[in-house]
Amino acid sequence: MLKPKVISQVLRQATTGGVKATLLLNSEGSPLAFVSESGDRDARVYAAIASNVWSTFEKNTRPLTKENLATGSGSGGGTSSGNGANNALKFLLVECEEGNLAITTVANMLLCLTANPDVALGILKAKTEALARHLEEPFQRVTTYNSS
Amino acid sequence: MLKFHWSTGDLQVSLDRSLIVMELQTYLDKLLTRIDGLKTITITDREGVTLLTATPEGGSLGTGFETQPALLSTTFAVVSEQASKLGLKKNKSIVSVFGSHQVVQFNHAPFVTTLVADVDANTGILLDLNNELRDVTDVIATALQERQNVTTP
Repeated sequence: MLKPKVISQVLRQATTGGVKATLLLNSEGSPLAFVSESGDRDARVYAAIASNVWSTFEKNTRPLTKENLATGSGSGGGTSSGNGANNALKFLLVECEEGNLAITTVANMLLCLTANPDVALGILKAKTEALARHLEEPFQRVTTYNSS
Repeated sequence: MLKFHWSTGDLQVSLDRSLIVMELQTYLDKLLTRIDGLKTITITDREGVTLLTATPEGGSLGTGFETQPALLSTTFAVVSEQASKLGLKKNKSIVSVFGSHQVVQFNHAPFVTTLVADVDANTGILLDLNNELRDVTDVIATALQERQNVTTP
């Protein structure tokens, strides 16, 4: 079983050093768990907009990633794998004047970190990816349980 | 026999404009060679109409990311507007990372600048181009403004 208290504790560990909020949300934009320094209302706004931004990007770029698969990615660069499944959207970094947002997927959910503009984008990305890696395995188990 | 209806002043303005376009194009082409992994640079308006584009010389454009800049630009225009409602003031840029590509887009209102690069290209260097490319879009914006002033006296 999932322990909601433990999820919040894990999210709280990432909400340090200029990170203002850490949220775990479903694809519809409803938060499952969140930790926010600036109150619930802000967190819900971040969740709604982050999920909308992610789904818009994912939906609109799907033809491009599929085209990649069909053409076998003949870009000539040598680094492109051209695998349509692997070429899906993996990470988003939204840079605004007064803060930055990092979004990625964990199982079939979204993980979103909001930080002050003085937090280096590299740190924000590394934190997001580390947290996603940590949560991936237990949440994958929950997803499997749900679908079976 | 060809007849020119322009005054010499108009001709000069037209020549100046085409020279500016050539200069900007050369500048973007040079940027492509300067930065490792950078595949295309496209400047469009918010509806996805391409104003300037730079693609690798003699390279094949195999992937959708490189051949359909309009789709990426219109997506960015929508998403950037949403992101500006986060309460974090205006959106400046968005980096989207895919399996084999990364797309860096700048909000250079009224234009959108899109950079498509390999996934392992240096994102920091790409983001650092923001101000440099802002100068390019400023030149285009000024030229358009001047043209509008000439056509609507």
